[in-house]
Amino acid sequence: MADTIKLFVNGVEVEVEAGKNLIDAIGAVGIEIPHLCYHPALGADGNCRMCLVGIEDGRPPLVPACKTPAQAGMKVLLDAAHIKKIQRDVMELELINHPTDCPICDQAGECKLQDYYMSYGRPESRMTVPQVQKSKKLDFGCGVVHDQERCVTCGRCVRFCRQITKTGELGIINRTDDARVNIFPGRPLNNRYALNVVDLCPVGAMTSKDFRFKQRVWFLKKAPGICHGCAKGCNITIEHNREKYQDDIIYRFRPRLNPQVNGYFMCDAGRLSYRQENEGRLLEARLSSQIRPLSDVLAACNQEIERAGKIVVLLSPNCSLEQMVAVKTLSAKLGASLSGFSDGYVKAGDGDGYLIQDDKSANRAGLTLLGIDCTQETFEEAVREAQLLINFNNDLTRSYTDSELKKLLKDTKVIAVATHNDRLTAMADIAIPVATSSEYAGCLINCDNILQAFALAVSKNQQPLDIGAIAAKLGSPLQSRAEQFAELRKYISILKDFEADTLPAEGLKLNDSEAANVTA
Amino acid sequence: MSDRSQLISTGKPFQYDRERDAEFERLVKRYPTRESMILPSLWLIQEQEGWISQEAIAYVADRIGTFASMVYEAVTFYTMYQLHPMGRNHLCVCRTLSCWLRGKQEIIDYLKNEIGITPGQISEDGRFSLEEVECLGHCGTAPVVQVNGEFHEDMNVDKLKALLATLK
Repeated sequence: MADTIKLFVNGVEVEVEAGKNLIDAIGAVGIEIPHLCYHPALGADGNCRMCLVGIEDGRPPLVPACKTPAQAGMKVLLDAAHIKKIQRDVMELELINHPTDCPICDQAGECKLQDYYMSYGRPESRMTVPQVQKSKKLDFGCGVVHDQERCVTCGRCVRFCRQITKTGELGIINRTDDARVNIFPGRPLNNRYALNVVDLCPVGAMTSKDFRFKQRVWFLKKAPGICHGCAKGCNITIEHNREKYQDDIIYRFRPRLNPQVNGYFMCDAGRLSYRQENEGRLLEARLSSQIRPLSDVLAACNQEIERAGKIVVLLSPNCSLEQMVAVKTLSAKLGASLSGFSDGYVKAGDGDGYLIQDDKSANRAGLTLLGIDCTQETFEEAVREAQLLINFNNDLTRSYTDSELKKLLKDTKVIAVATHNDRLTAMADIAIPVATSSEYAGCLINCDNILQAFALAVSKNQQPLDIGAIAAKLGSPLQSRAEQFAELRKYISILKDFEADTLPAEGLKLNDSEAANVTA
Repeated sequence: MSDRSQLISTGKPFQYDRERDAEFERLVKRYPTRESMILPSLWLIQEQEGWISQEAIAYVADRIGTFASMVYEAVTFYTMYQLHPMGRNHLCVCRTLSCWLRGKQEIIDYLKNEIGITPGQISEDGRFSLEEVECLGHCGTAPVVQVNGEFHEDMNVDKLKALLATLK
């Protein structure tokens, strides 16, 4: 815990963290100071005037809380009549030209303007002049659609593009009641984090082309998760809903604050990777292209395993640590050679030094930590000698072209344990559907050696088994997540202090000795 | 205020002439950051072309090395920057208190009757354009008319008539 200081809010003493501004410091102990333009990642701008508070120490009657550092002994006044009047007046000002089209606005339900209108004054409009008309659907590029009339010109999006992505596509054009956010003609949003402006927008001015009109936000169930799009492991909120008589569908990923991993943001590619959870899934177990019950297919697998002389087991670098140990013990029991070969997941030069990493897999560090060989030579040599390849969701089409793959696997039977229906499952002799990352719980180690746990987020009508459970059915001695986790403790000593579901939310930073703690 | 966000594109690339080019390089040394050049470089465009096109804004942004959106912000914020072609002679009549009290309306009315333009308009022959502006800072010698940047003080209809005759 950082240093704390004591100050007074409305005459009541509270203890808050030192070194923060009033909004963050007091907000952290549950006292809200309304604000539109301030955002912790973008700093204080002081333009919206919604956070004006009184400080009873002889300074000017009102100061913006976003620009005022919390100090010991400070007497902060929030509930005085003159401050409530300011909040009410700011609300009235913001709403003069606001179209109040909440019934058709995507932001409704998570809109600061809506919330503050209800909490701070509910001013009736006194305006008799017509409202200023602006553009209603400007395509800013990168899937961002802008409604200038809803905008409160807080400038968060503008500051995001200038401070965080340093691309500066957006600006506030004109002044007074004609001020509006716009791009310079012919220079639209062009950065890989652009959709964060949709989250940053406190109102419904910035909407995502991908999400708009799809779902009312109050229907969405929110579950914490980890993005599996690259080695960063950005913390996300998985927002999903099961409509009546339908299956549970994910509608969007949004970034979730984790200061030591991703901060407040995530990249657009990761954000849109929710589609892969919904689309192109392998849903039925298949035996030589025939759909068969899973039990039959598993029995066929066991026959194949018994028949085969040499077996290669291939792991995906996206598997959770639990799945990896389950498959590793299975592989040891079968006397198979285990590989994590996945060079195709690495897109050299794609990373940007911020959140996006070259490595498009979520848990390569896990493969390394468990001592699983990932070299191409070993994998190919093993495949050439083997009669059977059991592939646990490793997308080999990323590493090989179709013809290379056909050549490599010409004398090898393939059991594809896969989330998605792809060219490899089509080629496989046996295909077994498994859960994607939103459908099981597990742990990952990211590129910075931070071990993060995620819980099961989505339960489908027909919930597929996860790779760990399939490994157990094929003979892995680890029959449950608890047993897998216990096995993990042999590799990561710090886990002895934790249970699978009590890992800290912000992740566990593994030190070098733990990360290198590999049994030979 | 009005919406100034609609920029006009000439369809041709913009470039400073040699004189303005040299002036830009002279001015840029004056400031600690290159962003400070936004307003001066916009003045240079207006001096050269009489107005500021979309291409000219992009040119200036790239030359300064700043975001086009930032120059776009400045050019739409300040009404002294003209975003569409003006007449050959641009008349700015001050309408703030002193000039108003000392008869700016007579000047406006004269221009309306004589040349047929109201504030915001350009005469059909392209010779004049008229704009009413806020305080030009010459209240002691009101009313004041600015013609192509030059001040003409203590104006009245007779003096204006003589002045207009000298303008081509």
